[in-house]
Amino acid sequence: MWRRGIGIFLFLIFAISGCSSGKVDSKPTISVWHWMTDRDAAFQELARKYEALAGVKVNFELYAPSDAYSQKIRAAAQGINLPDVFGILGEKRDFASFIKAGHILDITPYMEADNGNWKNKFFIKALAVNEFTSGNSYGIKAGFYGVPIDIMTIQMVYNKKLFSRLGLNPNWPPKTFQEFLDIGVKIKAAGMQGLVSGWGEVWMIDCLANNYAFNIMGKDKVLATIRGDIPYTDPDWIRVLSIFKQMQDSGVLAQGLVTMINKSAEQLFANEKAVFAFNGSWCVNVYKGMNPNLEYGAMLPPEASNQYPIAIWGGAGSSFMVNVRSKNKEDAVKFLIWLTDQDQQVYLAQATNNLPANKNSLTKIPEILAQFARGMDYATHPNVWGVSEFSLVIEAFDRGIQSIIIGEKSPEQVASDVQKIKEREMAKKRAR
Amino acid sequence: MKHALYYKSKKFAINTLIHIFLISVSVTCLYPLLWMIASSLKTQDMIFKDISLIPHQFRLENYVLAWQEGGFGRNFFNSIIYTVAVVFGIVIISSMAAYAFSRLKFVGSKFLFIMFMAAMMIPIPGSFVALYVLLNKLHLRNTPIGYILCMINVGLSTSIFLLKTFFDKMPKELEDAARIDGCSKIGIWWHVALPLAKPVLAVVIVFNALAVWNEYILALIIFDNRQFMPLQVALQTFQGEFVTNYPLLMAGLTITALPIIIVYLLMQKYIVKGVTQGAIVG
Repeated sequence: MWRRGIGIFLFLIFAISGCSSGKVDSKPTISVWHWMTDRDAAFQELARKYEALAGVKVNFELYAPSDAYSQKIRAAAQGINLPDVFGILGEKRDFASFIKAGHILDITPYMEADNGNWKNKFFIKALAVNEFTSGNSYGIKAGFYGVPIDIMTIQMVYNKKLFSRLGLNPNWPPKTFQEFLDIGVKIKAAGMQGLVSGWGEVWMIDCLANNYAFNIMGKDKVLATIRGDIPYTDPDWIRVLSIFKQMQDSGVLAQGLVTMINKSAEQLFANEKAVFAFNGSWCVNVYKGMNPNLEYGAMLPPEASNQYPIAIWGGAGSSFMVNVRSKNKEDAVKFLIWLTDQDQQVYLAQATNNLPANKNSLTKIPEILAQFARGMDYATHPNVWGVSEFSLVIEAFDRGIQSIIIGEKSPEQVASDVQKIKEREMAKKRAR
Repeated sequence: MKHALYYKSKKFAINTLIHIFLISVSVTCLYPLLWMIASSLKTQDMIFKDISLIPHQFRLENYVLAWQEGGFGRNFFNSIIYTVAVVFGIVIISSMAAYAFSRLKFVGSKFLFIMFMAAMMIPIPGSFVALYVLLNKLHLRNTPIGYILCMINVGLSTSIFLLKTFFDKMPKELEDAARIDGCSKIGIWWHVALPLAKPVLAVVIVFNALAVWNEYILALIIFDNRQFMPLQVALQTFQGEFVTNYPLLMAGLTITALPIIIVYLLMQKYIVKGVTQGAIVG
C-alpha cells in the first residue's frame, strides 16, 4: 500500500517536471519584468503591435505585488538571471547599487543620439530620477540609466458639481490662498466637507507643507533649513505652519482629516462628499473605479505668496532599465524608444489613466490627465534635492501640523519643538 | 426555593454572557467572509456606495470574469498539484523522520533533531535569496519540482516536531507485538505507527495544505513562466498599486477559499483530537 503511495508521489513529481521542458523559439524575444498590474493589459497590447511592426516578440511578465517583485529582482540579480528589461523599486541608492554591481546599461549614448532626439521627448523632471549627475554621492558615472514610461504629480482636485452648488464657477478654481479660505467659509456655512486627504499617513501633510515652504521662502531657504543653516523658528516657517491653522479656522478642511487614510479620503471625494482633495495623479484611475460620473478638475495648491512659485511633488512614476548583460540589449533599447514615442504614450495614458512621460502627448489625452501632467513644470521631489532632513525632524514637523489642526498647539510652539529636535539630531550627527 | 432561584439566575446570567461573547467572536470571524462573498457579487462603485451585506443586484458574472481574466484554469490546476505533491511528500518524509528520531538510536540523532527544530526559527522570507541561488545552481529554478522541493523543506520541521511528540508517547508494547508477528521496522511504521497517528497526520495535512495553497511569494521568485504559477499569484492580477478591482478580487478569493474550506470540513473531526493529541494512544 505505502509502495503504491510513494509510486503515485514519484509519478506526480515526474509528471510535473515533464511540464518544464522549454520550447525553442527562433524569433528574437525581449523579456520585460514589471509589477504594474493596472498596466499589464495595455503592455500586452503594445507588445502585439510591436511584434507586428518590428518582428520582435516582447514578453511582458507581471510579478505583483510590488514588494514580492522587489525581492524577485534582487534574487535574480544575485543569480545573474535578470531579464532584458526590468524596473527597480526603491530609493536612488538601490538603483545605484544595481548600476555598481554591473546590471544596468548606461543609455546616455542612445538618449543623446541625433542631438538628443529621444531625451527631448521627455519631461526634464521625469528624466531626473533616472539620471546621475557628475560628482554624485553614489560614485556612479554621470549619465542616464533608466527610461521613464510615465510620470506622477501630487496636486489638489475639486468637485465641479459642489462648486456650482456653492455658487462658484466650476471652471475657475481658487488661484490664491485667500480665495481658497473664502471658499472654506462658504463650505462651512453650507455644512459641507472641505478638503480631504490621507493626512493620517503623515507624508501627505509633509508634501503640502513643503509645497507652501517653497512658495513662501523659495527652494534655497528650504534647503538651507535642511542643512541646518536656518532654524525652523524663522518667521517664514511659522508662516508655513500658520497656513494649516488658517485652513482649519476657515472651515476648508474636512472633519477628521488628521486621522484620515487616503483610501477613505478617495472614497469621500469620489462619492461627492468633499469639495476638495489633495491627492496624487493616480487618483484619476481610483475615482474612475469608484464613481465613473464624477465631475472634477485638478488645480495647483493656491498660492500663499507671489514671491516664489508654488512647487508640487512629482517626477517619474515608473521607469524601465536595460540589462547590460542581455544579448538583446540593442533590441531592448529600440523597443523602449518605440514605447516612449508619442502614439504609444497616448495609448498607455488613455488605457491606464497614468500620465505620459512624453511631453508631446498632452494634447491627445483626457483633459484631467493633461491638467495633472501640466503640473510637471512645478514639480520637485526630496529625492532630487541632494540633501535630506532627519526622519525624526520630519515626523515632529508633520505631527506638529496635526496638533495645530486639532488646536492642541500653536504654530510657534510646533516650530520651537521641531527646532529642538533638529538641534539634538545635528548634535548627534556631529558627535559621530 | 430562593436559594435555587439564585443559582438558576446566576447560571443563566453566566451562560448569557458566555453566549454573547461567543456570538460576537463568531460574528467577528464570519463578517469578513460574508463581506467577501457580498462584495464578489457587486460592481466596483457599489462596493464604495452600498455597504449592505445583501447586494441589490447579484453580479454572478464576476466569478466568470475572475476565472477568465485571472487565468485561473491553469493556476488552479497547478495549485492542486503543488498542494497534493507537497503535502504527500511532507507526510511521508516527516513521519519517517519523526519515527526514526523517536525510536531509532543512531549517532547524532539529537543534534539532527535540534537542527530541524532550529530551522523552524528561520523566517521563510529570509531564505528566499539563498533558495533562489541554490535552485539556480541545481538548474531547478523555474521548474515545478524545484518549487515542490522547497515547499516540502519549508513544512518539514513543524511536521517532524508534531509527529515525534506523538510517537514518543506511543506504547512500545504495540511495536513489540507487531515485531513478534514478523513486521520489519518499516512495516511497523506503516502498519502500526501511521494508523495510530491519524489525528496528528490530519493536523499536518491541514496546516501544510493551507500553507502551500496560500503561498505565492516563493513561487513568484522562483518561477519566471506564468504557466507554472499557483492560484494565489493569479489573484494579485486584480490588486494594483493604487487601484484594486474589488469585485473580481473578492470573487477570486471566494473561489480560492472553497477547496481549503472543503479540506478543513473533511478533516475537522480529527483536527481537535490532533491538536490536543498525546493523552490517549492505541
